Amino acid sequence: MARILIVGYGNPLRGDDGVGFHAAVRLAAGFAGGEVEVRAVHQLTPELADDLSRAELAIFIDAAAEGEPGAVLLRRLSPEGGAQAFTHQATPPALLSASRALFGSAPEAVLFSIPVESAGFGESMTPPVARALDRVCVQVRAMVSERIAPGTPEI
Amino acid sequence: MPRQTIVVDPVTRIEGHSKITIHLDEQGHVEEAYFHVTQFRGFEKFCEGRPFYEMPSLMARICGICPVSHLLASAKACDAILAVRIPENAARLRRILNLAQIVQSHALSFFYLSSPDLLLGMDSDKTRRNVFGLMEKYPEIARDGIRLRQFGQQMIEWLAGKRIHPSWVVPGGVNEPLTAERREQILGHIPEALAIVERTLDWYKSSLAKFGEEIRTFANSPTMFMGLVGEGGGLDHYDGKLRFMEPGGRIVEDAVDGSAYADHIGEIAHPWTYLKTTYYKPLGYPQGVYRVGPLARLNLIDRCLMPRAGQEWAEFRALERGAVLSSFHYHHARLVEILYALEKIEQLLNAPDILTKNVRAHASVNNNEGIGVTEAPRGTLIHHYKVDDDGLMVWSNMVIATGHNNAAMNRGVLQVARHFVHGNRLEEGMLNRVEAVIRAFDPCLSCSTHADGRLMLEVELRSAGGELLDTMRR
Repeated sequence: MARILIVGYGNPLRGDDGVGFHAAVRLAAGFAGGEVEVRAVHQLTPELADDLSRAELAIFIDAAAEGEPGAVLLRRLSPEGGAQAFTHQATPPALLSASRALFGSAPEAVLFSIPVESAGFGESMTPPVARALDRVCVQVRAMVSERIAPGTPEI
Repeated sequence: MPRQTIVVDPVTRIEGHSKITIHLDEQGHVEEAYFHVTQFRGFEKFCEGRPFYEMPSLMARICGICPVSHLLASAKACDAILAVRIPENAARLRRILNLAQIVQSHALSFFYLSSPDLLLGMDSDKTRRNVFGLMEKYPEIARDGIRLRQFGQQMIEWLAGKRIHPSWVVPGGVNEPLTAERREQILGHIPEALAIVERTLDWYKSSLAKFGEEIRTFANSPTMFMGLVGEGGGLDHYDGKLRFMEPGGRIVEDAVDGSAYADHIGEIAHPWTYLKTTYYKPLGYPQGVYRVGPLARLNLIDRCLMPRAGQEWAEFRALERGAVLSSFHYHHARLVEILYALEKIEQLLNAPDILTKNVRAHASVNNNEGIGVTEAPRGTLIHHYKVDDDGLMVWSNMVIATGHNNAAMNRGVLQVARHFVHGNRLEEGMLNRVEAVIRAFDPCLSCSTHADGRLMLEVELRSAGGELLDTMRR
């Protein structure tokens, strides 16, 4: 299992909501095998808990319903349980919690979130979120580079 | 006491949007109950005018849980339009993909959706009655569920390129042969998956005695059964002929070619739901109500030829004399089918010519009509297309597993409501049982209305005059 797991998620058929998914697709091209694994998924499912348990760093990328559209927000995550109706989709903290509870460990984790302008039907994103897609990819690559080989230029 | 209606909206831990209404008489006794499907999608209409060869990938969008089922039924309908017999190895690979789908979908239904009821209890704290509660109390079982579903999904990805909405299956076969590396990857994980399902069957069977009341009342009624039966009367999820069985176990019609489905299956629409209801035409509605899916399939077959699954099937059939009628046993049937699927996948992957590169037949439009029938996780799935001479879609009809079960689910809701619901009070556990009977069928409403999402549960108790008497929210 790769040391770093990148999970971009969202619905690419719902405009800006797909920004995380698109970011993962774009990032995957630059990380062919090796220490970084990239997943582009529509939603978080419990099965990801197993993969997370074998990673050292997890980077989640998602759209956000609130905030200035096109901003790129970064926050650290910690495992967190809760009584949510967890069935076949989950939140990153819930997955981290499941990873620790069921598979023995949870990685260090961060979430890049991008507030949306429109999540209507359609495959194209609004201009501010499309620009944020470029920025988030640069930031994720920089974070990965720093983790894999501290002090080297980004991939 | 005035007449009242209890509304369970939405029903939770199922695929899609629905609600249940329970109507009480003046004495507070349950008079009637309905399972309403409140979403509508309309795939049958908006595919008109599109080229038929787009149908497999377009129709797979009906569902994110069982896209493979739609992909396969659609591709089979397209095979019929091409008038081709697909290469033997293409059929074998499609069959493996379908079984991988059975594994992941049944694991989702059993472990994620229903096992909180089974392990934590129908009356347990509703805030913990979910997979998180399961993780805390039964981490080994939660881990098994995750691993099993993960393996099912992984097989689909290894075979078809991606887990959801893969495009590997095409009219005429599949678009790439299997590689030796992929075969070895799948085979390497089979032993762990078999061990998981076997220990799950052990604890499930040992806990059955706790659910006597539910077994007696969960859609336990004398309906018919319908499904595909393979050559020699064996279990077959990809091909075969339709068989209709009476509740007592007598086969009333056999070896019906899927292309003749319309002669045997009638469809009706109700004003209170977007989900169509089917029935066995010769008996009419409602006498011809039947069930499909794992319970039906295990009732319909004459034999189960996989060694471990065969033993479990024999035990399953001994649960009741004649056909197994209680819909609670859908859970048990799912586990037996996962076992079967894993054994069968192993057998198919060890076929000597599984890596043969000839996996697709090419042709143009040779028929203006095509019908494809497969067994989806939830039951028999029929795609029926008509095209013009240029291969553009002019008409389509899809008969979905959840539709076949609609009448039986409604009967089940009524039966459970009459047994557990009493009008002078609302108790969470009894309402959970009304939902649980629906979960036993594992309906996929995204499919059957040709939405996804999750809402809060709200139950309202209203008088005949509309006055809100009581409310419960989840």
